Amino acid sequence: MSVFGTVAKQLKSHPALIPLFIFIGGGVTMSATYLARLALKNPDVSWDRTNNPEPWNKLEHNQQYKLFAINMDYSKLKKDRPDF
Amino acid sequence: MSETIDEKLKNYRTAPFDARFPNTNQTRNCYQNYLDYHRCNKALAAKDQDQTPCQWYMRVYKSLCPMSWVAKWDDQMEDGSFPGKI
Repeated sequence: MSVFGTVAKQLKSHPALIPLFIFIGGGVTMSATYLARLALKNPDVSWDRTNNPEPWNKLEHNQQYKLFAINMDYSKLKKDRPDF
Repeated sequence: MSETIDEKLKNYRTAPFDARFPNTNQTRNCYQNYLDYHRCNKALAAKDQDQTPCQWYMRVYKSLCPMSWVAKWDDQMEDGSFPGKI
């Protein structure tokens, strides 16, 4: 609690520091959200191996996990593998 | 639009893109197809159906996997010491 008080006082006397906090804060948020996406959504990650043994098999045949997929039109993919 | 499995096997050229494994590292793709081949054989044999559809998985893993891995896993399957879940 005292940290925020000190920081707020310093910002009032040096307002040019505010953009610094904005950009550092933005960077921290982006890193944290990307790590959270990796931990929770990545099909290679399995937190519970008894109930979720092969999470990559749960992807649809044209479902995209990558953020940017260049030269790959996922909507045109057909299902290839035979069922059993 | 879907071809029969015989047509697919006849027209097979190489392993198609698999959305489960979009990155450069295709190790898991190879292993998963090897597992799927044996699981498919086991499942269709239990249901007394023709095991030809399983050949798709064999073609894919033969395209993807290094021969030494396939040989090692086949030896392990014969011994009964294959570590994967079939």
